Amino acid sequence: MITTPDLIESLVANAAPVRRLRPPVARAVGWLLFAALMLALLAVSHEVRPDLALRLRQPEFVIGIAASLATGVLAAIASFLLSIPDRSRAWLLLPLPALFVWVSTIGYGCLINWVSLQPGSLPFGNEAGCFALLVLTGVPLSLAMLIMLRHAALLAPTRVAISGSLAVAAVTATALSIFHEHDASAIILIWNFGTAVLLVALGGAFGRRMFSWVAYAGK
Amino acid sequence: MARELDWSIYMARAQAGDRDAYRRLLEDVAPYLRSIAARHFRNSGDIEDAVQEVLLTVHAVRHTYDPARPFGPWLVAIANRRVVDGLRRQGRSRAREVALETEHETFAAPEANYHEAASEARALREAVESLPPGQRDAIRMLKLQEMSLKEAAAVSGMTVAALKVATHRAVKSLRKVLGRQDRRT
Repeated sequence: MITTPDLIESLVANAAPVRRLRPPVARAVGWLLFAALMLALLAVSHEVRPDLALRLRQPEFVIGIAASLATGVLAAIASFLLSIPDRSRAWLLLPLPALFVWVSTIGYGCLINWVSLQPGSLPFGNEAGCFALLVLTGVPLSLAMLIMLRHAALLAPTRVAISGSLAVAAVTATALSIFHEHDASAIILIWNFGTAVLLVALGGAFGRRMFSWVAYAGK
Repeated sequence: MARELDWSIYMARAQAGDRDAYRRLLEDVAPYLRSIAARHFRNSGDIEDAVQEVLLTVHAVRHTYDPARPFGPWLVAIANRRVVDGLRRQGRSRAREVALETEHETFAAPEANYHEAASEARALREAVESLPPGQRDAIRMLKLQEMSLKEAAAVSGMTVAALKVATHRAVKSLRKVLGRQDRRT
């Protein structure tokens, strides 16, 4: 085992200048701008849903979309704050009010659909397009957040992964409500869960590898 | 408080690549980290492991420190994180391992009792020193340097019979001196 003074010497020998992180809120804004860019690109390539103008006049749709957007913004800010060691873990609660409103509109939508659903009227044809949309928005956003928050793997990977995946899921859901006709609430929920699990797994694996690399470089 | 301010300044310089400031910072915080780790671990090896892991983490995430904020909470948050990791690992290994503490090591290997052996040897040496010169030389040559009677006679110029008598008396008086010590302790 290496002694502590030797370890300090080797760390000092590896002390290359580092670029200080910008304030967490500024970095969250950066990620949100990237998300906005993604949505803008989607708007150019995909058409917005044909009944968007009509839906925008329905208060529950507007509340739902605003709540999912707010959840995305707050969760993004929370993840960047949580990734800094000395910030309070209570920031994890920041997106909860918006999340509550969003989930309740989903629940309300499901209830309405359940009541109005006719046998055989489930539209199966556009599931593939829906899934493609999810991947197109979700994957780049997850990757961007993972790279921006890679240092959190050593600190609080689970907490950051939960709020980060919530941010990605909320932004993706917002995109889905703008571009896709079918309110794929179930798919969104599965997607949320899937991203959370994926990010937690990546965080664990990534963190350990990074740590062993650091330990190796420090020898 | 003044110490924390120093640490904050050192870290800000270290972020810019100042190695001397970085070395001073790490050497300064190591005892502090040791005191944090000592609250959770008893084994000195575990404490040192925790300290080293905290130092490695500090090194890996040193760019996340904002010099506008106090250094202490930043360091303590990282230290707590690594201590929790260490405790989890300990919990896992405790289930199927028995740690050897320092006391175990003292009794296991013969070399571990070297200290006692060394002090007995010193007592014997002192006792030999206190003998009259003729007896002392006889004991040294015959018992310590393991010469034969003939060799010792040749070296010292004493006769074999005189050597025998001197050795006999020396052993007798050594027994008396060391026996008295034994009774005393």
